[in-house]
Amino acid sequence: MTSNRAVATRLTRLRSRVRAFVAFLIAGFCGAAVADDAAAPPLERPIRFNRDVRAILAEKCLACHGPDEAKRKAKLRLDTFEGATAPAATGDPAIVPGDPDESGLIWRITTDDPEDRMPPAKTGKSITPREAEILQAWIEEGAEYQNHWAFIPPERPTTPKVSRADWVNDPIDAFVLRKLEAEGLQPSPEADKTTLIRRLSLDLIGLPPSIAEVDAFLADDRADAYDRLVDRLLESPHYGERWGRIWLDAARYADSDGYEKDKPRFVYFYRDWVVRAFNHDLPYDRFIVEQIAGDLLPNPDQDQLVATGFLRNSMINEEGGIDPEQFRVEALFDRMDAIGKAVLGLTTSCAQCHTHKFDPIEQVDYYRMLAFLNDTDEAAIAVYTPEEQARREEIVRETAAIEEGLRRDAPDWAQRQRAWEETVDKPGPEWTVVRTDVDANNGTGQKHVMLEDGSLVASGYAPTIHIDTFTGLEPVPSVAAVRLETLNDPSLPLNGPGRSTKGLFALTEFHVEVAPADKPNEWREAKIVRATADVNPPETPLEPIFDDRSGRKRVTGPIDFATDGKIETAWGIDVGQGRRNVPHQAVFVLEKPVSFPAGVRIRFKLDQRHGGWNSDDNQNNNLGRFRLSATADPDATADPIPAAARAALAVAPEARSPEQAAAVFASFRESVPEWREANDRIEALWKTHPEGASQLVLRDRERETHLLPRGDYLHPAQVVEPGVPTFLNPPPDTSTLTRLDFARWMVDRQAPTTARAIVNRVWQAYFGIGLTSTSEDLGTQGEPPSHPELLDWLAVEFMDGGWSFKRLHRLIVGSNTYKQASKASPELTARDPYNRLLARGARVRADAEIVRDIVLDAGGLLDPSIGGPSVNPPAPMFLFQPPASYGPKSWPESTGSAKYRRALYTFRFRSIPYPVLQAFDAPNGDFSCVRRSRSNTPLQALALLNEPVAMDAARSLAALTLAEGGSNDEDRITYAFRRCLARRPTDSERRVLTNLLHKQSARFAADAEGAAKLSGAAANPAEHARWTVLSRVLLNLDETITKE
Amino acid sequence: MNCQDHLLGGRNPLDVSRRWFLGQCGVGLGAMALRELIAADAQGASPAVVDPMAPKKPHFAPTAKRVIFLFMAGGPSHLEMFDDKPQLAKYNGSLPPAELLKGYRSAFINPDATLLGPKFKFARHGQCGTEVSELLPHTAGVVDEIAVVKGMCTDSFNHAPGQLMMSTGSMIFGRPSLGAWTCYGLGSEANDLPGFIVFSTGSKGPSGGNSNWGSGFLPTVYQGVKFRTGGDPVLYLSNPEGVDQAVQRDSLDAIHALDQERLDAMGDPEIATRINSYETAYRMQMSAPDVMDVAREPQHILDLYGVEPGKGSFAGTCLLARRLLERGVRFVEIFHEAWDQHGNLTADLKKNCAATDRACAALILDLKQRGMLDDTLVVWGGEFGRTPMVQGGSDGRDHHPNAFTMWLAGGGIKGGTSYGVTDDLGFSVVDEKVHVHDLNATILHALGFDHEKLTYRFQGRDFRLTDVHGRVVKELLARA
Repeated sequence: MTSNRAVATRLTRLRSRVRAFVAFLIAGFCGAAVADDAAAPPLERPIRFNRDVRAILAEKCLACHGPDEAKRKAKLRLDTFEGATAPAATGDPAIVPGDPDESGLIWRITTDDPEDRMPPAKTGKSITPREAEILQAWIEEGAEYQNHWAFIPPERPTTPKVSRADWVNDPIDAFVLRKLEAEGLQPSPEADKTTLIRRLSLDLIGLPPSIAEVDAFLADDRADAYDRLVDRLLESPHYGERWGRIWLDAARYADSDGYEKDKPRFVYFYRDWVVRAFNHDLPYDRFIVEQIAGDLLPNPDQDQLVATGFLRNSMINEEGGIDPEQFRVEALFDRMDAIGKAVLGLTTSCAQCHTHKFDPIEQVDYYRMLAFLNDTDEAAIAVYTPEEQARREEIVRETAAIEEGLRRDAPDWAQRQRAWEETVDKPGPEWTVVRTDVDANNGTGQKHVMLEDGSLVASGYAPTIHIDTFTGLEPVPSVAAVRLETLNDPSLPLNGPGRSTKGLFALTEFHVEVAPADKPNEWREAKIVRATADVNPPETPLEPIFDDRSGRKRVTGPIDFATDGKIETAWGIDVGQGRRNVPHQAVFVLEKPVSFPAGVRIRFKLDQRHGGWNSDDNQNNNLGRFRLSATADPDATADPIPAAARAALAVAPEARSPEQAAAVFASFRESVPEWREANDRIEALWKTHPEGASQLVLRDRERETHLLPRGDYLHPAQVVEPGVPTFLNPPPDTSTLTRLDFARWMVDRQAPTTARAIVNRVWQAYFGIGLTSTSEDLGTQGEPPSHPELLDWLAVEFMDGGWSFKRLHRLIVGSNTYKQASKASPELTARDPYNRLLARGARVRADAEIVRDIVLDAGGLLDPSIGGPSVNPPAPMFLFQPPASYGPKSWPESTGSAKYRRALYTFRFRSIPYPVLQAFDAPNGDFSCVRRSRSNTPLQALALLNEPVAMDAARSLAALTLAEGGSNDEDRITYAFRRCLARRPTDSERRVLTNLLHKQSARFAADAEGAAKLSGAAANPAEHARWTVLSRVLLNLDETITKE
Repeated sequence: MNCQDHLLGGRNPLDVSRRWFLGQCGVGLGAMALRELIAADAQGASPAVVDPMAPKKPHFAPTAKRVIFLFMAGGPSHLEMFDDKPQLAKYNGSLPPAELLKGYRSAFINPDATLLGPKFKFARHGQCGTEVSELLPHTAGVVDEIAVVKGMCTDSFNHAPGQLMMSTGSMIFGRPSLGAWTCYGLGSEANDLPGFIVFSTGSKGPSGGNSNWGSGFLPTVYQGVKFRTGGDPVLYLSNPEGVDQAVQRDSLDAIHALDQERLDAMGDPEIATRINSYETAYRMQMSAPDVMDVAREPQHILDLYGVEPGKGSFAGTCLLARRLLERGVRFVEIFHEAWDQHGNLTADLKKNCAATDRACAALILDLKQRGMLDDTLVVWGGEFGRTPMVQGGSDGRDHHPNAFTMWLAGGGIKGGTSYGVTDDLGFSVVDEKVHVHDLNATILHALGFDHEKLTYRFQGRDFRLTDVHGRVVKELLARA
């Protein structure tokens, strides 16, 4: 125990040391070891904890005096005011606000005594005199702590005064210039107009300007020419493609499932929604709300449902033998990670397993947020283009008109319908649901789950040719017939009832076996003599996707096909899009009723062999959700009334909703013989229903959320309610929070990180590096911003400006900071290699997709059409076959101009990334990415030099140059050069190119065959060949793929 | 003095640019990648001079300078190859003890699956007396060089997550692979070849796909580059049709001259890196076909591996791997996805072992005779093992993460070792357990790294290959 005397002595010693040390500082001491500090400007007062103090404590003190209790020394923590001012193990507080002399901390960092000196020598860290000065001043001013900068809602900082006011075009420039002045630097001059239009075009639409556009801009001497250019580019439909792509990285967009099977999925409606959202300048707050909870908005339209595809971009594992629940939970973790990176700008994933030492998201917070996402189903809905949507509405309208006509012409229709209702309102046989074992005997790797109503839902791996067996758990007294109901479920494609991409199935054969309950091994087949179903489509050949490569003709058709003993035929339910995804039923009557004294056990064999040959593709044709029942009634038949009408019939006529009334009427009218012509017309109408496309979305459902220690879904701990972390803005004051509340909370004006995170990424897209470089993490472990006030100003401007991206772009590109030339002197490069001070414009290699687009555009090949299914440009076919790929993948190479679509539309297989895009660092969508790598490798050189599409572009650029580039070499060189670089060549550049051209002339004059091969031109191959060589050189220049 | 002066004179741009930036301007090649390194480093290291792939020194003196990882994807059966279980034969056909199965999850088989006796005979080999089955006569011949790790265990019983676990130390996508970590830590000594090269020789590609050799959050320069044994070894290596070497050289000279001029005008070191990338690409075009041509090997070497030139095979790829390692490549990984014997266990294992056994042993012998085995680490194994219980009729086994076998050789590994003990059924590890994290810690140790200190800061956290786990298995090291 330390005696009072010892403390007093130490304090006295401390005071004298501090005084001496501070006097030393104030005297402006100067020595070799501290030369930098001596040159430093005076401290900016008042001291701000976040700006001045936090980094010192974090770097030098918190490893032992931080939040980690296990590693804490001397019972002292310095990361909170309470901890720092409470008595530590010595009995004295480390910090006495307002009194540095009494503060143990100051003594500790200044004493010469190696015993007492902090940080201890063995840490290799020490406090510089400048840092000591800051801590001293901060304690003197009261030692005020601040919350982490990013957790304080941004407020508009005042625009600083700077000496070169003439350079300041908007507040961005003032913030930048103040820092430059503090560093003794000058901004660079403005870039020339040609550089500016190329820079702006690449930045805003991701395409280089055409020669005509450059000339028009150069000729435009109006004062607002630049602003007009910006307006034109922001109005271009290509703007959404450029900026949408950046969001798609964060949304981990890909066209396939990932993992082993990596099957194609249907999500391009989401991609197109993102592009359109940018083009329409959908405010960012709404943009986020629709993606997180569009389905919960009042009367959501198709777009708002499609937007929830953001959450569904998680990977799906359907490898054989997985537990689907494990990968559903993995997908939830992925969604949390994506929301953290893309929206909040915070690391969340550490809290998945445990409460993080440094980050304030506690594990319970994590699972409370996850609870918002857990209450969902992984759904896929049918989606339609506007034209298709119009056609659908027309069908509904015309059907209603025909039905209205029928009612008009038969005034007694209501009476007749009631009479009909009575005839169909028979109780029918009594069915007992047979609850079966689940996957006890199925070795296919497909997994089933039994729901409360006794139905089974298939998930996980989807075998394409297989037989599933289910054995009843409880015996029935006797059985004369069995029923198979196929049901909808939100987890199935288009709501089911099957697992095919259209939500359909084909039942090849159906078998029933029976055994006495007391002799469970004496199974025998019970022959089926009659089968009925509520739907019996005509015989139809299987679609090509289900080809099993057997060469046999395989068909679907009426229910008899499931009992005919032929594996070529199956019961199918497809009555066409618009009406196909509904429940159905089939009833199978046994040759003789079966009963045993101890009861009958029943076993069902569901033979499903109408899928395709490749179970690593979307070729399954399996049952999705189904239920099995038995009856002792040998006269049982399938209810012919459609399930929706049957449900409506149970409601008293006057209590039926319009939909229910319509369902009953539709069923009734089909029973009326004299309405046949009208019924046929309606049938014909439905045949014109558009097929539409499919899109993964999220649907609400109830599900309990548990905290999962170490993220282990097999060992759930306590139940958690939806909620948000307390260190961020408060949630709305309602008793139960929904996913919609969660979404709105993220984009609340008080949300501290949301706006900062996105404006930082916009800045990053322009300058190659964000104001804080750790774009994915604004939390306590992220890098403090280079220009914190500028970041806050932008965030506030963005929010107060209605969360408008286009407005934000105008602010940034309108600044003189943005317009600076990107040339850097060696001195500046050495001093600020990453341009964090912004004393020059950005010079950044374009993103992968833009590299490709530049090459296509310069070559005149680019197909600029927007949206639609992804395309398959040329790629080496071996990539899509084993052993390069796990399973065989389909890559139907696009034809015509489609192979030259913008790279945004290239089909993205997660496991087989498109090689050129991968070479230039495009992420493959396995996880959310808000900051791409930007590498510079030999593989990139090979891709630009030798890849076939790049070569197509070179040949095409040569042909264009010869056709349109003028009549002499000089003009043509200029033309080709400008198509690639916008600017004109310098004399020496022209010389290099002319020499190249001449050398090739001589070569190809002597080698016509080689010229033809190289140029692909039939006429005048030598001329085409030499220009192709030159074009290829231009397409490979660093500057061509770089924004300057 | 103007820095650019040093760039004139038409010298090798690799040398010139590197020297210029390193020596005169204090700005390194690969500045963009470096930018990331630095941005990721919250300590804000000085913009030191770094080519991200330049050779680097590890934490301490390594015993291995390069790695070849023979990834036997699919899950080879330890029970038929390395881990002899006479008791399992004895209990063939009976149910395993219920307490063993408590909480056990399997991919395909039913809870009532019975035990399946080993299909092949075992014998002791070499001076060390390590047991190896009759399936592996060649491996049996080199057991004195290898350490058989019978106590392996992992966290996943599905292929894709299991392979990711083995490759990246995590079942979650987005983590750097072992090869990427190795290049991040050591750089590469190959001037005109990638530092991390990957092959796939099995009947399928690996389940985990490209993420098995991805760079995760590390700069993308560290990701594995896929090579193949037929056609262009690396994508787009060949010139387009009609472009001969002379045209290619003329074109590169023009590109070089124009890039050079832009570098002079703009002063962006990235342009120098670009020049360098193009020259390296050109050299790769010249050298890779030569490296990849195994027909240049003498007949006795071809025979040693069992290679028929012109036929792509696992054996040929092992030989290629050696040729690549000789040229300074840091990490070669061969994925041979063939070992998922849910059925047809006996015949398929015979086939797989016939296709791989000789070459694996040949690789060790060949490295040894060249003096390379001392500092080349060879790793053999899959993502998990197989169940002692039968799947299907009587000739298949399901995925099994609780116990399996791998082996290591060379690079400071203690040859003739057998480490890890499983129970009588080969179901669980009962002693000397080696989790994938421990294996990774040990591999990094051989490469000279403290696995707890080879870190990369991302999302505010210092990530490492071994997460918060990992034990260096000293018992496997020649000098602990």
